[in-house]
Amino acid sequence: MFYERHQVWSVLLRLFHWSFVLSIVTLVITGLYIHFPWTNTMVIGNSYFPVATMRYIHFVAGFVFTAALLVRIYLLLFGNAQERFWDFLPITPRNIKNLFKTLGRYLYLNVGHEHRLGHNALAGIFYFLTFLVAAVQVVAGFFMLYPESVFWQKWGTMLFVSQQQGRGIHYLIMWYFGVFAAIHIYIVVWNDIFSRNGLISSIFSGGKYISEDY
Amino acid sequence: MSRMVEDQRAGIQVSRRGFIKGCTMAAAALGLSETMVPKLVEAATSPKRPPVVWLHFQECTGCTESLLRASHPDIGRLILDIISLDYHETVMAPSGYQAEKSLDDAISGNEGKFICVVEGAIPTKDGGIYCKIAGRTAMDILDDVGSKAAAVIAIGTCASFGGIQAADPNPTGAVGVTKLLSGTPVINIPGCPPNPISFLGTVLHYLTFKRLPRTDQLGRPLFAYGRKNHDQCERRAHFDEGRFVEQFGDEGHRQGYCLYKMGCKGPQTFANCPAVRFNDADVWPVSCGHGCVGCTEPDFWDTMSPFYERLPGVTIPAGGRGIVDAATSKGKVILGAAAGAVGIHAAVGVGKKIFGNNEDE
Ligand code: HEM
Ligand code: HEM
Ligand code: SF4
Ligand code: SF4
Repeated sequence: MFYERHQVWSVLLRLFHWSFVLSIVTLVITGLYIHFPWTNTMVIGNSYFPVATMRYIHFVAGFVFTAALLVRIYLLLFGNAQERFWDFLPITPRNIKNLFKTLGRYLYLNVGHEHRLGHNALAGIFYFLTFLVAAVQVVAGFFMLYPESVFWQKWGTMLFVSQQQGRGIHYLIMWYFGVFAAIHIYIVVWNDIFSRNGLISSIFSGGKYISEDY
Repeated sequence: MSRMVEDQRAGIQVSRRGFIKGCTMAAAALGLSETMVPKLVEAATSPKRPPVVWLHFQECTGCTESLLRASHPDIGRLILDIISLDYHETVMAPSGYQAEKSLDDAISGNEGKFICVVEGAIPTKDGGIYCKIAGRTAMDILDDVGSKAAAVIAIGTCASFGGIQAADPNPTGAVGVTKLLSGTPVINIPGCPPNPISFLGTVLHYLTFKRLPRTDQLGRPLFAYGRKNHDQCERRAHFDEGRFVEQFGDEGHRQGYCLYKMGCKGPQTFANCPAVRFNDADVWPVSCGHGCVGCTEPDFWDTMSPFYERLPGVTIPAGGRGIVDAATSKGKVILGAAAGAVGIHAAVGVGKKIFGNNEDE
């Protein structure tokens, strides 16, 4: 079988993906610690600052997460053909058709398979939703990080009313990311196995392989 | 000096020393330099200071009580003295028709000049019939008096955000003043009850500078509600260092460690409790070993309870169980379901592969 390599993901998108992934892993671990600091100490006189350190790591990772999100928003508009949002949201006839095909395929119905360079429309919907949820998470985070800033108070009060509610939503959204990651990794591996186009390596190398047979 | 010191009306009096001490405490709370104290004293004793009408709606009178019974008696008296109260149902002598007349007298001829203080929430359901005074609904009275006032001070969490009667399921449709009044400037002094100094500071600020102090997004004066309790707390070092109380009465509790794990809401609450403290005895809940319950925040009865859990009771998603609990058990179900779905999906895929009818192959 002859495969042709296509460049699909720009360097920036791959950088986005991995800084997003690493920051989320860090944020979930440190966030859970902030939620329930599982260490406790009676030691007086040392300065280890475990809570301060965990919060510090959380905030730094929060900035990485925010930066990654901003990069992706930029790419949604100005990235390459696969990275722009109209390439994968079901807002064109081609993508709506693809959405149903993908659903059928995941249900193991033999509806035929369209090989695309970019995301399929189902994946596209969830990636886009993830970006929206990430934006809410960022606002909640900065609302808590800079409680005295008028700018963040405006946004935070509008979206969450109080710090308490902002915190509650911030915590719930953490679960969203956990669930997303689990399903995402499964689907990616599944596609890598069944599509045979080097999907996983594409998020490292940027290239996918499309075989002539299709 | 002040009116009441001069004629000793109602038998209440404040010594000059107490008077100046009170003004100095208020100046400190406002973040003003001590050179401003004479200006505050002057404004507080000016014969031209505006009359005050104090309205009571759905409330427990706790705010008034806490002002009057401040263990530093001068503060309570000072407040009554400074604000030349023309109408206050709890402390005034007249009752019945005479009381109604005092209200009329205070308002007529003073439109746009008097200050209106509101204590308590206003029920709005069924035309507001759940709180009536002299045959008029609270909504009606607020509309009438509030719209004629120069400014409205909502004292306490009830008048600011609805308070306990607005807690879920809010049977009377209770709301705070800002929800109903437009056109008149409103300032919120929430707290259950609020610190008398925050109220005094707001009044003195108004008398001295002829305008209300700057506020945050929720209409609370920044001088008192500009910073989180957590960021001013004396136990903060224990928080950063990870020394926590795990249970009331344990070793950590006796050592005075941080109450974060006991559900302290200091990290989510804007107030000046650790800085200004209460009762002139330099205490606030955390200094006594109890977490903050977040009483200055909107809907705190719903969103901050149960008070001894970290992130409880946010009513938005979890219908009363406490979201940590609900989110945790939901999270388990969701993760379980996701794992289940993944497992089934994988099994079907493997099955298809074994039985060899996968089209992709
Ligand atoms: C996927 C992204 C994120 C996750 C999963 C996450 C998770 C969490 C969790 C679980 C908490 C503890 C809440 C509690 O139960 O009390 C928390 C707190 C917090 N997070 Fe995040 N977070 C994320 C992103 C961010 C971002 C982007 C920022 C902004 C810099 C941020 C700033 C904060 C702050 C300031 C706190 C409160 C810490 C404290 O006051 O001690 N977070 N986060
Ligand atoms: C070992 C772990 C992971 C691998 C191998 C992986 C792999 C991939 C691959 C191959 C794609 C491209 C899919 C396509 O072409 O349609 C992708 C996209 C994506 N992944 Fe992952 N992923 C991993 C973990 C994560 C995690 C933990 C997150 C976040 C929670 C995440 C978030 C995303 C997002 C948002 C996209 C969309 C990219 C975009 O269009 O911007 N990934 N991933
Ligand atoms: S006792 Fe409460 S306010 Fe004080 S540091 Fe601990 S969590 Fe913060
Ligand atoms: S410590 Fe918290 S609950 Fe207590 S009065 Fe202050 S803000 Fe209200």
